[in-house]
Amino acid sequence: MIYFYDGSKEAFLTALALSFRDSEPYLTSGNKQLVLGQQTVFVRTDAARAKRIEERLVSFDKDCMRDLDTLLRSGDPNRDNIALSYFRLIAEKKRPVRGMLGEDAVLAANECLRRVGFEIHRFHGFVRFLATASGALYAPITPDNDICDLLVPHFRARMPQIPFVIHDVNRKKAAVHDGENTFLAPLSEAEVVLSADETAWQKLWRKYYDSVNIPSRERLKQMRGYMPVRYWKFMPEKTQPLNDDEGDGGAPLPPS
Amino acid sequence: MIDERTLAILTESAKYDVSCSSSGSGRRNEGGIGNGYASGCCHSFTPDGRCISLLKILLSNDCIYNCKYCLNRRDNDLPRATATADDICGLVMDFYKRNYIEGLFLSSAVHISPNHTMEQLYLVVKKLREEYRFHGYIHVKGIPRADMEIVNKTALLADRMSFNIELPSEGSLKLLAPQKDRESLLVPMSKLQQEREIFRAEKRKGHFLPAGQTTQLIVGASPEKDGAILRLSEGLYRKRGLKRVYYSSYVPVVHDPLLPETAGGAVREHRLYQADWLLRFYGFDAEELLPADQDLSLEFDPKCAWALAHMDLFPVEVNRAPLEMLLRVPGIGARGAQRILSARRYTKLTFEHLKKMRVVLKRARHFITANGKFYGAGEQAVRGLLAAAEASETAEQLSLFSMNETALSALTGEL
Repeated sequence: MIYFYDGSKEAFLTALALSFRDSEPYLTSGNKQLVLGQQTVFVRTDAARAKRIEERLVSFDKDCMRDLDTLLRSGDPNRDNIALSYFRLIAEKKRPVRGMLGEDAVLAANECLRRVGFEIHRFHGFVRFLATASGALYAPITPDNDICDLLVPHFRARMPQIPFVIHDVNRKKAAVHDGENTFLAPLSEAEVVLSADETAWQKLWRKYYDSVNIPSRERLKQMRGYMPVRYWKFMPEKTQPLNDDEGDGGAPLPPS
Repeated sequence: MIDERTLAILTESAKYDVSCSSSGSGRRNEGGIGNGYASGCCHSFTPDGRCISLLKILLSNDCIYNCKYCLNRRDNDLPRATATADDICGLVMDFYKRNYIEGLFLSSAVHISPNHTMEQLYLVVKKLREEYRFHGYIHVKGIPRADMEIVNKTALLADRMSFNIELPSEGSLKLLAPQKDRESLLVPMSKLQQEREIFRAEKRKGHFLPAGQTTQLIVGASPEKDGAILRLSEGLYRKRGLKRVYYSSYVPVVHDPLLPETAGGAVREHRLYQADWLLRFYGFDAEELLPADQDLSLEFDPKCAWALAHMDLFPVEVNRAPLEMLLRVPGIGARGAQRILSARRYTKLTFEHLKKMRVVLKRARHFITANGKFYGAGEQAVRGLLAAAEASETAEQLSLFSMNETALSALTGEL
């Protein structure tokens, strides 16, 4: 049976309960090509039931709701089923299962969790803020996973007084820290007025990036391994042309 | 704002220092901007495959010394520049705010005198911490022969300091860096270490080098063998409490009859780092790895070489072997070993399990049994197989345009 749900935690828990006796459930929050004669269920969120399930699961594994939150943020197209198998196993074993690396469900879930966690760590480094005329900072990003609000605590801790916006351009949402409060807001396009010296700082950074490189030890493959090309889009060191307009060997400019 | 030319000169002069890490400091934000990030954080990667974590820059590249291997030696004809404290502070603040960097790595050529230079470095750091209220990571290079008083004052503000040993032996130092000697490098290291221990024992307020000390060695500019270098590193880790020893394969940036004309091999540097990790995280002693008068094998990684010399200890059963032994299996790293420990509590592990758990078996299969089964080759064949595996990792896929020697001769028809 195929279960469609809206991608929320409550709907997931409802779907988990609905499909528990199903031997071959397929859960999805996206689109799925149906095969003739296949049965489908559209999961309607049952908040009370979801709460009961959550309490039960937490009694088996007190950290499992954090796993669920992370799994549902994954950009993996199969994330719903990976999460479903993982939680079915917790319910079956009635205990934490994350150490059971002999189980396929656990391996798949761990891999998914690892990818999300690793991307968060990467973005702590790869986010590039633009200084705006108002003094606030603005960073557009296009991460694989839905993580923009998870990046906020890191930057809030280091720059508590500076307001900033981290904008997930593809998912059309932004995590905002206004200097006091933090919230998530839908945002499709941002109009940003840059501060007067922003371009100059970007050029200086580009100059630094070029100067610190040792050309006789070129290892492009290694560079791309550590910093995949898909993350270059908003990095001045990869998009800002050098002042003297040489062919710079950097990335092409992002599509405007 | 610092001008582009000064920035380029001071960066070009600093870039051969390989230390890059920004880990180990949990400094908190106390107003202003910045904090420490205990695990460290890389912000960008340059085409040479190195990371940019800290803004690596010299305060001045105008040097009174004439160390033979160094780009900034007095006799070298090179554009010289000196930055002001405000130049550096402004650069750090604006780069940091935009998340380009994790902090500052500040070094300097010895300008006027060691004491003067150390004092200048101290003043920059003081200004950055107190006036600009920056709480991010700061790594300051120690200047040999500077007064300990200034060094200690700096240590109270910095997260990490490092005195570069530069060359692995007193003899080479005398030959290539006549103004430095062993004493002037090791003594301040020990003193800082003692100071740090006292500071911690008395639980004084503030910080004293929360991320400890590191050092750097140039490999390949002088004749020391890897065995001697690793013994030196082992001593630094175990006796002087250093956090890291960096190895920098020699790059001929200046020409001198006393120096080799060719660059030290990248593979040798890689092998030294592998062996260094074995010393720090895998419970190996330098003594076990190789004799003092030998180099590490370029063909096999150091753990492989050790295992091949101790075939009587293998194969080990993954379901029973203790952690220390798992860590000694070639191809199984710290993470793999932890995964095995965790998984085997629930089930008897087979090769299928290991493969799915992403334990790399290319090397390991010759040294382990899983649930009694062995899939390795016989003792004789292992060497060849491992060497072949190693070669396939370093081999380069040729493209039509790669101007490798053989590719070139193929194009020109000489082949």
